[in-house]
Amino acid sequence: MFIKNLPLKLIVISAVFSLILTACGPKVYPVASPEPLPVETQAPPAERKVVTLIYTQEFDYLSPLYTSMWFAWTAWQIYNHWAWEFDENNEPFPRLVTEIPSTENGGISEDGRVITMKLRDDITWSDGEPLTADDFIFTWEMAVSPKNTVATTYPYDAIESITAPDPQTVVITFTDPFAPWLANLWHGILPAHVLQLIYDTEGTIDNADWLKNPTVGCGPYVFAEWESGSYARFIRNENYWGTPAKIDEIFIRFVPDDASQVAALKAGDADLGTFISYADVNTLQDAGLKIMIEPSGYSEWMFLMVNEEKGHPAFLDVNVRRAFAMAIDFDGINRDLHFGLTKTPASFWDALPVYNDPPLQPYPYDPVEAKRLLDEAGWVDSDGDGVREKDGVKLELEHATTIREDRQDVQAVMQQQLAEVGIKLNVNPVDDTLYFASYGENGPAARGEYDIQEWSDGPLFPDPDIYYWLCDQIPSDDNPSGENWFYICDEELDRLIQLQSTQVDAVERQKTISQINQLFYDKVYIIGMWQDPDVYAVGSRLVNVKFSGVTMFFNIGEWDLAQ
Amino acid sequence: MTRYILQRLLQGIPLLFIISIILFVLMMSMGDPVATMGGRRVTRAFDYERLRRQLGLDKPIHTQYLYWLIGNDWAKVDLDGDGIAETTGVRHGVLRGDFGTSLVNRKPVMEVIGERLPNTLILMLAAEGFIILGSLLIGTYSALRQYSTLDHLTTALLFIGYSMPIFFIALISMYLFAVLFKRWGLPYLPTVGMFDPQVGKTTSQVMLHMILPVLSMSIVSFAAYSRYIRSTMLEVMSQDYIRTAKSKGLPRREVIFIHALKNASLPIVTVVGLDLPLLLGGAVVTERIFAWPGMGRLFLDHVSRLDLPVVMGILILIAAAVVVFQIITDIVYAWLDPRIRYDT
Amino acid sequence: METTPTPFKIAAFTPDELEAPPLTLTQLTWRRFRRHKMAVFGVITLILLVAYAFGGALIFSEGYANHTDTTLRLNSPSTEHLFGTDTIGRDILARTIYGGQISILIGLIAVIIETVVGIIVGALAGYYGGLVDSILMRITEAMLNIPEIFLLIVMAKFFGGKIPGVDVFGRTYSGSVIVIVVIIGLTSWMYLARIVRAEFLSLKENDFILAARATGTSNSEIIFRHILPNSMAPIVVSATLGVANAILAEAYISFLGLGVQPPTATWGNMLDGANNYLESAPWLWFFPGLLILLTVLSINFLGDGLRDALDPRSRTV
Repeated sequence: MFIKNLPLKLIVISAVFSLILTACGPKVYPVASPEPLPVETQAPPAERKVVTLIYTQEFDYLSPLYTSMWFAWTAWQIYNHWAWEFDENNEPFPRLVTEIPSTENGGISEDGRVITMKLRDDITWSDGEPLTADDFIFTWEMAVSPKNTVATTYPYDAIESITAPDPQTVVITFTDPFAPWLANLWHGILPAHVLQLIYDTEGTIDNADWLKNPTVGCGPYVFAEWESGSYARFIRNENYWGTPAKIDEIFIRFVPDDASQVAALKAGDADLGTFISYADVNTLQDAGLKIMIEPSGYSEWMFLMVNEEKGHPAFLDVNVRRAFAMAIDFDGINRDLHFGLTKTPASFWDALPVYNDPPLQPYPYDPVEAKRLLDEAGWVDSDGDGVREKDGVKLELEHATTIREDRQDVQAVMQQQLAEVGIKLNVNPVDDTLYFASYGENGPAARGEYDIQEWSDGPLFPDPDIYYWLCDQIPSDDNPSGENWFYICDEELDRLIQLQSTQVDAVERQKTISQINQLFYDKVYIIGMWQDPDVYAVGSRLVNVKFSGVTMFFNIGEWDLAQ
Repeated sequence: MTRYILQRLLQGIPLLFIISIILFVLMMSMGDPVATMGGRRVTRAFDYERLRRQLGLDKPIHTQYLYWLIGNDWAKVDLDGDGIAETTGVRHGVLRGDFGTSLVNRKPVMEVIGERLPNTLILMLAAEGFIILGSLLIGTYSALRQYSTLDHLTTALLFIGYSMPIFFIALISMYLFAVLFKRWGLPYLPTVGMFDPQVGKTTSQVMLHMILPVLSMSIVSFAAYSRYIRSTMLEVMSQDYIRTAKSKGLPRREVIFIHALKNASLPIVTVVGLDLPLLLGGAVVTERIFAWPGMGRLFLDHVSRLDLPVVMGILILIAAAVVVFQIITDIVYAWLDPRIRYDT
Repeated sequence: METTPTPFKIAAFTPDELEAPPLTLTQLTWRRFRRHKMAVFGVITLILLVAYAFGGALIFSEGYANHTDTTLRLNSPSTEHLFGTDTIGRDILARTIYGGQISILIGLIAVIIETVVGIIVGALAGYYGGLVDSILMRITEAMLNIPEIFLLIVMAKFFGGKIPGVDVFGRTYSGSVIVIVVIIGLTSWMYLARIVRAEFLSLKENDFILAARATGTSNSEIIFRHILPNSMAPIVVSATLGVANAILAEAYISFLGLGVQPPTATWGNMLDGANNYLESAPWLWFFPGLLILLTVLSINFLGDGLRDALDPRSRTV
């Protein structure tokens, strides 16, 4: 029958349409959990405490060893543990061990090659199994097995053997004295009782379900579910061996867009935001959120290429490098573009003050002195085009960094300031998978196409170890994955870097690294731009929140919601 | 008719091959997927070599394409880096239905895509339905009241929506309806995601969270669709049979909706049929802004990490869907319009 | 989705043919165009915008547009900086002028590329038919089958960072401008190719073509001098709308971070740079957004008017 009345027809169409939509719509997904939730038969029930975190990138794995993503690392403290963790001052404290091994308590041997760990005897996995030395040994075996596609084998490949004289003792023997062990060992433990069988039958744990759905953990929360691209949920571990957590559920939502993250935080749709950019700090604070900044050892650096064959001849002269550093007003940039929220770092180890003693001062902003140094070095502007030259070569430098708006902003400012002293800076914003491609993959940075490279980096915090500037790391056809993209072969620097990684004695090591610190400064191999700590936005509902620069959510078991 | 279908299907196969080769070559030259596997730092040299070998990235490009196409379980790979290939491969290749595993998280590609596909379908079908409905109404009205003031006004508004970049519309609407409305105490919409974790993933939550993305996408498309309806309606309204119907004394509503609109909406079938498979691509920008876990975001995330298997899987899937839908559209159109016949 | 009007070769007549001479094609088209008030508005606005972008260069030098002063960052509009300043203290008014030049140029050159490629592919496929048609159409379909935004992303990542800048007329253009122009052009020619092919298929059976062949005219002459001029209507409409599409595509790619890289300004990347300041510094997005809106809107009105004016099936005069 024809329905002649137009409005009625519209209603019918809309009704039919919404019926179809509902029928095709998603099924109701029950909030899944291994333990029963408080049932709403009593009235009124206490509302479940759910804390929402926003991650701008989704983790690829939820398992130790298989990923190096920052966003995966933060998750360890939620449902897993490190052997020892780091607090808000980045000081280590024991977690799974009774005390941190040292030479005084016999934990480290005389020659520095053997480390003995004493485990607590009350640790259990969330399914009740005790966590013993076997789990540590298993973790090491999985890391070094060639059949596992782990993200990195470091530092487990430096270990010669691990034994367990009893279930609470782990004895690790290194091939050579290994100084950086404190910061790099035991970033999460694999449960042997879950994975050993899989490894034995399949020959690899690459396809184990536990890697993505780690239903067995030893942290204050236990994994509940992970829906790809959307969210991940962790609920309170009722079998936790330590103090039970106060919050019922941690909900991590993946929001890739920065502007959307800020909107969600302002609207109160989330309680914690990560990697907040300085531009958003003010508007978030106005909306009632607390901004917390935690040093992570990272700073934004310019790395100069100093090499006779590949580099610009101007950069072979340390005075030209120094003039370059003095021509840019970093303090002004940090004051204006970063709203004074960060400072100019002078030392690669400025987050580890013990290695930066006496503390270095950043290069002063002095364009007059810069011009004088350049004149003295023989670089003058003879043809009046605003760019200096010498022996027919123009002082034109290639600068490259990845595509990120604040980096391009700073590039534009630097270009202008350098032009004022007669240096022409060509800026090259490059996509990151191309930028960090290796020599073998024709990565332009690795191939030495840029005189100045820029990215955010630091030592292997909280360990002071570094490795880029080694002479044998210079890439070439024989060494296509070499990491010394600055092509710097400085014998003194090389010797010192190699020396410090073997010095287990903290005092000796501190002296060596201080020498490297001074060398970097005197020879202007690196120029600090701004410190790059972790910036978090914490909603007003959350209390007891502390962050660490190493084990970020180390006290997540203590977080609570204000009533 | 069957011959025609078969012919088109067969023609689709070399098409898919061409697409796969073009895309494979493009993807291989874009950079290095292993470069960013080091987290916040550059991947260490020894890890780099090992990962490339384990992921099969150290082979030349034609070998990689071959393995992608027909698998490597007939060849041996070198897993432990000693230079001797001793382990049999495990991949079956695309021709046998194995699209490989993602470089990012080692999940099977089909599983990765399958997780996101329903989310995209929900969003895009809702949006498409909303757009079609709205366009039919607006286009019809526009055709009947051609050049009137209201027509001009509506057209102007539609064109404004069409002329703004969609990320802009999405961000503005998010700020307006979610952030500012909440601040001003008005009833507000949620900002991001598919549901509110406190409530759980219920149908009503998903529909609530769908409003802003669907709205943003629709604003952009209303103009195009409704202008198209308008022009076909104009063409149909001037036909003889409409004049006959009017002179027969049929009520105006019946003339418009039964006789005119039915015939005018035929070409829409073509448009919808061609647009539907492209829906599988999701709305890359809208999904990114509203954090909707769909295919568009999947593509963006995995392209930026150069995850070849997943990207190729998505593109081949969409291409195949387009081929199939083109055939279906032609058949449906022929069935609806008795004037069209497909001969060989 | 575009209509494919059949060509018309004779002018129509005014209602009262006894009193006035018949109108020529151009006059008829212009009359029908004029009725479309919004199209006229579009033309006027476009002329003003082009004058703004290119004429404005006479008032502000490029050096001024690129001049940064971090102490003046994020200032709201004032008498000194009419549109305010951006995140590093550059004057937004000057940047919209130079950015407009790049955006409009991107639009025009991309359309030239896509029109040329589309006409060649469509003409050859439609005229010669057979195997040539099959191959060309398979390639066209192959590219059509991939959603445009996917193609754009893949190609932007492929070409990104590999093309160096060029110096034209003393001004340096970063390589990313060339990349954007090329990829937008290479991802949009397919629609036009199909339309041109349809035109050629129907036109080549006509008597006047038969006559041309009978007199021994060469194939290329038939294509370019006989058939092509008669199929200009849909090509013109498509090219016009293509400029709008290119400008929007540039904004999209900028949003995804793959577009023209700063410090070169375009309206698209200015809009993208304002994402973090939607509430706190609305002048950052308001002016480039308004300019994009006006440009694309005017082009759409213009194209719509052209389509109505050139389409013989719309019976109203």
